[in-house]
Amino acid sequence: MKATRDWFGDILVDVSADNPDVVVVNCDLASAVKTTKFRSTFPERFIEVGIAEANGIGLAAGLAQEGFRPFIASFGHFLTGKFLEIFQSVGLNQSGVVMVGTHAGLAIGKDGPTQMGLRDLALMRTLHNVEVLQPADGHETRQMLEYAVSHRRPTYLRLCRQPQREVHDENYRFRFGYPDVVRPGTGTALFTMGGMVPVVLDALDLLPAGTPRPAVINASSLPLRPSAVREILQPYDQVIVVEDHFLRGGLIDEVGRLVLDLDRHVRFGGWGVHDYGQAGSPGELYERYELDAPRVAGRISAFLASTPADREHR
Amino acid sequence: MTTAYIDSVPLDRSAHLVPDDFELPYRLARIGQLADDVRACLLKMIYLAGSGHVGSSLSCVDLISVLKFDRMNATDDVFVLSKGHAAPAWYAALMVAGELDPEEIGTLRRIDSRLQGHPDRSRLDLVAVSTGALGQGLSVALGRAEARRMRQEPSMAYCLAGDGELQEGQMWEAIMYAGARQLANVTLLVDHNHSQNDGPIDAILPPYSLPDRFRSFQWHVQEINGHSHLAIRDAVLNARANQRQPSVVIAHTQKGYLTPGQILLNGSHSGSLTEQIYEDAIAELERTAR
Repeated sequence: MKATRDWFGDILVDVSADNPDVVVVNCDLASAVKTTKFRSTFPERFIEVGIAEANGIGLAAGLAQEGFRPFIASFGHFLTGKFLEIFQSVGLNQSGVVMVGTHAGLAIGKDGPTQMGLRDLALMRTLHNVEVLQPADGHETRQMLEYAVSHRRPTYLRLCRQPQREVHDENYRFRFGYPDVVRPGTGTALFTMGGMVPVVLDALDLLPAGTPRPAVINASSLPLRPSAVREILQPYDQVIVVEDHFLRGGLIDEVGRLVLDLDRHVRFGGWGVHDYGQAGSPGELYERYELDAPRVAGRISAFLASTPADREHR
Repeated sequence: MTTAYIDSVPLDRSAHLVPDDFELPYRLARIGQLADDVRACLLKMIYLAGSGHVGSSLSCVDLISVLKFDRMNATDDVFVLSKGHAAPAWYAALMVAGELDPEEIGTLRRIDSRLQGHPDRSRLDLVAVSTGALGQGLSVALGRAEARRMRQEPSMAYCLAGDGELQEGQMWEAIMYAGARQLANVTLLVDHNHSQNDGPIDAILPPYSLPDRFRSFQWHVQEINGHSHLAIRDAVLNARANQRQPSVVIAHTQKGYLTPGQILLNGSHSGSLTEQIYEDAIAELERTAR
């Protein structure tokens, strides 16, 4: 069990050994975003800007223009909060910065909504030349980091605080934009990403015997390739999306738009965080927002048992 | 008459902008000619576009001209126009330098044009950094300077910002960083034209003790007449010579500066350039042509 932010901290050092252009721009959160190992291994490639994310983003953009591959790391909530700076100095400027946003979702718990990365996907999805990556485990983190240093496009890497088990083995091959079928199923395709992948897998084990098991799709890189989603969805006529993010603007919208483009009827449902979030232990929060395994199982059961007419609309 | 002056601009001067062996008086005379060419060119550009920031472009023509034609090493140094609304001044300088086709003069602010209303690097690689929303250019310039320092390259990063732009918080994040890290290969030129969108800067939010502020952030400060080519030249040379601190050149300018004593559109931020005002301005540049 290990959080993807911890995997990131370790693997970044590995990939940086072979990639001298990788530098880190840090915003006074090294211990939280796990860049301390990089700092001690490559002190000359570690740039501290202090609590000044806007300047850090611009500085990273300038470093990228000069041929470096800068990783600017902070809480995803703080980093993507500087949206105007990302839009102009990274996006419009075509600057190959890797923006690393940690503490995705509710998992920061008691610190509350001012620290929770709950709307970072919505913001980053709007920029057409930014690639969004969220690994589900250590194997995927390694492959995503190897991919991220292999090109120079603007990238947003979304990482989790909560320890997770591995859902892939070493044979897993990440391909950008291709959803990854973690577990095949019947009738329904359930899309999720990041820290929610193991939660959804656990939830399926809690479904009553005889319930057809949805396929679990790890949509770990956005934008998704429409053709890949179309192909994956062929055997299914129901789609559920579960996400540790605001209900609006994230994976539900990404998948929903692709489902609308299918020229056939697909039943669609999804849920995420419907308000600003709040303080509480991660366990309490995931229960309250129906994002822990028992509640996810309950909602899947309800979705499968309901008819379109009696579906709850939020 | 008007078009004759403009159309002659790139043709007879671009081949030898400011030759290396020119003594200082000749250099200054040539920079003066080129700066007037830039003014004429940007006025035509904005006139044809039907809109654009005349005053903000004119106030920084002399700063840009000294950098572009005399002091900046085009192959190594980088120039970031943080006050992106002065884009016509940069485009005009590129045209006078022969790097941008004069045929494009009528394309400013037109659809599919390379000459966007604010510099867009994704459409024109002759702008180093996309700018427009204020306050961001210096941070990117710091990144470029930091990269050069890490590689031990001697080149400079120049950033031109407006005085009103110093009201943006990100500017002070960047100023704090550069001072603390002794990023000496950065020169910030502040186009201190004392005027912003809604009126005089002193009426909106006065930048009290501007030189002291920079000094307290460990910057090397010079305050000059931003329309004196000699003063700009010296200040840029001093800035490059200072190897221990980032430098700021606070250049006192006039919004809408055309020629000594002639201020266009009464120094307005984005007033409209009518045909009459445009014709008169070009005639004035011709009358005083050096």
